[in-house]
Amino acid sequence: MLPAAAEPAAGDSWGMLACLCTVLWHLPAVPALNRTGDPGPGPSIQKTYDLTRYLEHQLRSLAGTYLNYLGPPFNEPDFNPPRLGAETLPRATVNLDVWQNLSDKLRLTQNYEAYSHLLCYLRGLNRQAATAELRRSLAHFCTSLQGLLGSIAGVMAALGYPLPQPLPGTEPTWSPDPAHSDFLQKMDDFWLLKELQTWLWRSAKDFNRLKKKMQPPAAAVTLRLEAHGF
Amino acid sequence: MAAPVPWACCAVLAAAAAVVYTQRHSPQEAPHVQYERLGSDVTLPCGTANWDAAVTWRVNGTDLAPDLLNGSQLVLRGLELGHSGLYACFHRDSWHLRHQVLLHVGLPPREPVLSCRSNTYPKGFYCSWHLPTPTYIPNTFNVTVLHGSKIMVCEKDPALKNRCHIRYMHLFSTIKYKVSISVSNALGHNATAITFDEFTIVKPDPPENVVARPVPSNPRRLEVTWQTPSTWPDPESFPLKFFLRYRPLILDQWQHVELSDGTAHTITDAYAGKEYIIQVAAKDNEIGTWSDWSVAAHATPWTEEPRHLTTEAQAPETTTSTTSSLAPPPTTKICDPGELGSGGGPSAPFLISVPVTVALAAAATTANSLLI
Repeated sequence: MLPAAAEPAAGDSWGMLACLCTVLWHLPAVPALNRTGDPGPGPSIQKTYDLTRYLEHQLRSLAGTYLNYLGPPFNEPDFNPPRLGAETLPRATVNLDVWQNLSDKLRLTQNYEAYSHLLCYLRGLNRQAATAELRRSLAHFCTSLQGLLGSIAGVMAALGYPLPQPLPGTEPTWSPDPAHSDFLQKMDDFWLLKELQTWLWRSAKDFNRLKKKMQPPAAAVTLRLEAHGF
Repeated sequence: MAAPVPWACCAVLAAAAAVVYTQRHSPQEAPHVQYERLGSDVTLPCGTANWDAAVTWRVNGTDLAPDLLNGSQLVLRGLELGHSGLYACFHRDSWHLRHQVLLHVGLPPREPVLSCRSNTYPKGFYCSWHLPTPTYIPNTFNVTVLHGSKIMVCEKDPALKNRCHIRYMHLFSTIKYKVSISVSNALGHNATAITFDEFTIVKPDPPENVVARPVPSNPRRLEVTWQTPSTWPDPESFPLKFFLRYRPLILDQWQHVELSDGTAHTITDAYAGKEYIIQVAAKDNEIGTWSDWSVAAHATPWTEEPRHLTTEAQAPETTTSTTSSLAPPPTTKICDPGELGSGGGPSAPFLISVPVTVALAAAATTANSLLI
């Protein structure tokens, strides 16, 4: 189900990043789900939902470790900085009414685009991380996140929606701003992890909504019979 | 008789007398309101009277002993709550009221306790507050809600004085909310603030209408049903999961079951014949914390009717589903190893295919009868 594994981190890391980002944006190459019998998009929506839960759980320990690595004040629970910089990060926050009325296509597209960007940024983070253990955890998380992207792509394909194609020149790029101080760089890292966590919570709700919309009403009857233990 | 002039004269005189009377016996001003701290000492001067003026002090109409006086001033030491009242000083000889003080004894406010909670996610959240110890005098509270740099309106609750409501404009925000409250009264001032993320304060209300029923012919089962709390606005997009706990009244140890779906559950390991207490709690599937436990439901599992030592003893053995008893015939009973001591008929595993149909019909009729 997962797309081809990422290339090993070797050689020019900047080139590698650009290459990886390009790979991600051309994910339509991912084979569509096995549709024999065609249970509909339901199972793959459920799988995507489960993936967001798994990732959110993984992120909790990863973020804890990474924030400790950044040191105070980033690892303090009360840390509440103003949202400055990090403008290019995809924001999960959305107006309540707008969110509730999103079309399925737009809902899926926003998720897909967000995780594509976030994955790119995360790989940039991985490049800089000091300890090998941190790099290992980040790499593992990136792989899982790539799996999530593939899963979302699968749902979109099953529903007949086209994957978003980036306009030339707008591909997400990430590079450490040389003008950024060490502290500002850490702030960017902090917001990246925060936004990632919030997106995973939002995705769980997004896929809940999709799940309920796709669910055939007969499913409820099936559950009741099972409950009687026959 | 020249009536008008003398009558008019009398009227004017009477009016004048009344004016003089009220001027002498009513206060020059409204009582002076004064707040003093519990346990402190206070000296009440008799208005503008000289220190050596001869005055009498009264509280709520009762004379005060002269040993409390320092000249014309009233000295109260170690104020207690009982000292609150209306103090008045009178000129000793003429009983002319010189001054009045309405004294309130109280305390400055301690740091208020503030908490916020979202039981209506994603519609909004509310904050409520209280003082850990009473002040005994009136307090005013002022609540401000900040989302980043944006000020949000906290609408006062129509019924509760210490609660206000905030509506979410945006969901899935990475910016924390900061709620500050300041409290002040005549004796002092205090404040506190809390900061939190949107997700951490989500806590639904407990499930409603928890009902537990025995299951006929199943002495170890109890069927529990409940409803999602009515305050939760959107269970479809924000599904709840549930936690059920139950125990027989005679034991202290709870059994727990976590349910990720549905609003019903059948307990299958109840002790036969014992009354059970059952409670349910709810939580958003992904975020926030568990609700409080619901109102408890009580139920006792089904027990068989005691047999009578009459010729009718044979009858229960051969009842069919067409009789008033809704139990399926014992000979076609479902083989359930958990149902010990059921006192029913023999278990017949090789008849499993038949009971499925019969029991389904029986269950259907049972369900119908329960719905009456």
